[in-house]
Amino acid sequence: MSKPHAIIVGAGFTGTATAHDLALRGFDVTVIDRGDICNGTSGRTHGLLHCGGRYAVKDQESAIECIDENMLLRKIVPQAIEPNGGLFIALNESDLQYGEVFIEGCEACHIPIEEITPQKALQLEPNLNPGMLAAFLVPDGTFDPLRLALSFAATAKKNGAKFRIYTEAKSLILDGKGTVVGVDILDRASNKQSELRGDIVVNATGAWAGEIAEMAGADVPVKPTPGVMVAYEQRFVQRAINRLNKPGDGDIVVPQRRMVIVGTSSFEVSDLDYVPVFEDHVKLMLERGAELIPGIRNAKVRGKYMATRPLIGGGMGRSSARTFKCYDHKETDNVDGLVTITGGKATTLRAMAEKTADVVCEKLGVNTPCTTKDVQLISYRQYYSQPN
Amino acid sequence: MENKRNKPSPARFWMWFNPIGRETGGWAFILNRVTALGLIFYLFLHLIVLGQLAKGPEGYDGFVALMHNPYVIVGELLVVAAGILHGLNGIRIILTTFGIGVTYQKTLFYTLMAVALITILIFGIRMFTA
Amino acid sequence: MSQNWNITLKVSRQKEGETPHFDEYKMEVNPDEYVLDAVERVWAFMDRTLCYRHACHHSTCGACGMRVNDVEKLTCITYIRDMTHDGGTLKIEPLRNFPIISDLAVDMGTLYSRLESVGARSVLPAPEAEIENPPATWSADDGQYIRLADCIECGLCISACPSAATSDEYLGPAILAGAQANGLKRNPELLALVDCEHGVWRCHSAFECTAVCPSFVDPARRIMDLRTQIIKERFTRLFHKA
Repeated sequence: MSKPHAIIVGAGFTGTATAHDLALRGFDVTVIDRGDICNGTSGRTHGLLHCGGRYAVKDQESAIECIDENMLLRKIVPQAIEPNGGLFIALNESDLQYGEVFIEGCEACHIPIEEITPQKALQLEPNLNPGMLAAFLVPDGTFDPLRLALSFAATAKKNGAKFRIYTEAKSLILDGKGTVVGVDILDRASNKQSELRGDIVVNATGAWAGEIAEMAGADVPVKPTPGVMVAYEQRFVQRAINRLNKPGDGDIVVPQRRMVIVGTSSFEVSDLDYVPVFEDHVKLMLERGAELIPGIRNAKVRGKYMATRPLIGGGMGRSSARTFKCYDHKETDNVDGLVTITGGKATTLRAMAEKTADVVCEKLGVNTPCTTKDVQLISYRQYYSQPN
Repeated sequence: MENKRNKPSPARFWMWFNPIGRETGGWAFILNRVTALGLIFYLFLHLIVLGQLAKGPEGYDGFVALMHNPYVIVGELLVVAAGILHGLNGIRIILTTFGIGVTYQKTLFYTLMAVALITILIFGIRMFTA
Repeated sequence: MSQNWNITLKVSRQKEGETPHFDEYKMEVNPDEYVLDAVERVWAFMDRTLCYRHACHHSTCGACGMRVNDVEKLTCITYIRDMTHDGGTLKIEPLRNFPIISDLAVDMGTLYSRLESVGARSVLPAPEAEIENPPATWSADDGQYIRLADCIECGLCISACPSAATSDEYLGPAILAGAQANGLKRNPELLALVDCEHGVWRCHSAFECTAVCPSFVDPARRIMDLRTQIIKERFTRLFHKA
């Protein structure tokens, strides 16, 4: 029996991780993206390897996903991770009170935290706000967005997956029964149109999932929610710094190379392909970042950008769950041959891929289990140095 | 799908002499190459001239008369300039190769060029007033 | 708040099989925006056929390197106000010395495979990453921290290097810098790779690499240091021959 052919639309975190999973399960995989790897939301992620503490109170499903995947990613892709941990710090009474539910929540989600004195925290991170009232050490980390995805892509390529970048999905090809059997593609580098046929199409376009699903008359309740990030030109801290309170704007500062990045905000937008940077959002990041690390106030801005997260579910902005969902459109829209995976966080990319690949395998009657937990990813550089 | 136009190639040696978009180190690099070519050209010229001298006293007298021609003096000054510029910049290259002065290679270049300029001026004055 | 400028983007275009040419796009920009923002708006609102490479938008991925007005720049952190003026032009071209895939996107395969061949580390202990001018109050435990290397593999140095323009076998500044950071003491087998005509000796001290590096790598200094490492290593081997 010949290998089933999966076409994955989208070469961000979800697309590359799913390609890796399916390739290991014996699929022929073709990944297409209108740009290069991570040119959408995934490239512009904050870069925080979440320990899950942020979600441990209100969104425990996400929190558990995060801590489990965090530990796993440290093992399988250390080449793209700064594994230096994180801190949750309290700066006022409201933060202190939140601390109690925070401790309970982390315990419930098996997130290992350690409360330390503010003095000890200042010893570890001298640039923190000296007016700290409480501090908790957590197993956060930093990851390089592009290189995380490239690691999955490189390993997938080694196992036979093909990546066709600068290849845009113009429409989905439907057969007489309304089943998706392929994708009409435009190779943007050569300006040539052609058809790509497969046994299943995986819609891994994240915030754009609704647009792709629409091509088959299917619906995905994804709410694109952009937020701003501001990078400053000094590595003030070695650890990720989180505000100890319920999730809000500008309450996370992540170190990466010689920078720190403050994020993020949250608002709705209709045009996904370009989201401008709003100055008032940037000012907000400065204010909130400076609360955690006073030195940020005088730091030079290195970059400012917007990243559009794919939130699912009915809630608005911050009340939306950060979990992920895989939609089998045969069940939701009576459109077979199409599966959408969206929502989620960068930290849970492997888990999202596992779920998606499980759904795909079940649909196609393939019995191979997921092995991505045990496979060390190869050097991310081999994505570019291996030919297709 | 590969585009040959942008690929590295020995045929693109002219790229060495393109000063557009370059900074101090790049200009120094170009200066060294141009003076080197100039000096090599001079070497050939010199050998040809020496060849003339081997022809005997008539050749020598003719040659000495030529030496007072102002264009020739300018030419000789250019050779001296090339030698001084190439030599001093060469010293900078030797120093940086051994890790000395890499961080301030731009300042080193400007300083040595100032020295070169003064030296060339001195030589020029001497050559034209001799 | 800056007043908006009206500028022209002159973008190098080339699809497979076509002759390269420039397309012009007039647009209104905030001079405090980045060059990449302008390129993105060309694609988003004016010309969907444009191909360009970008990912993180904050100088950690190294994808958005281009030549802007003849100088190699990482466009996500390059302010428009530093490159032109109101009524001016931004000439955008792909990096030199890499085969062009389309328009502004180039094929970085050789860069990545050569970095692999010298075993350049992507993460390393923080003190080895040689953070210059660290805050005076950093704790003494810095040695336990691991961080991503300075080199973001953007290729600007290779684009700017005159030796790399004429030799496709020259390893190139980024690669030699990666080898230096690795060190010949840790990796003695690197010696043959870097001590040859296509290694450190092909560098002819133009220092253009350090001039354009957006990520504090200082490849020129590293190449010179690698030369010192090589000389020391050769001497050691000479006198320790049984």
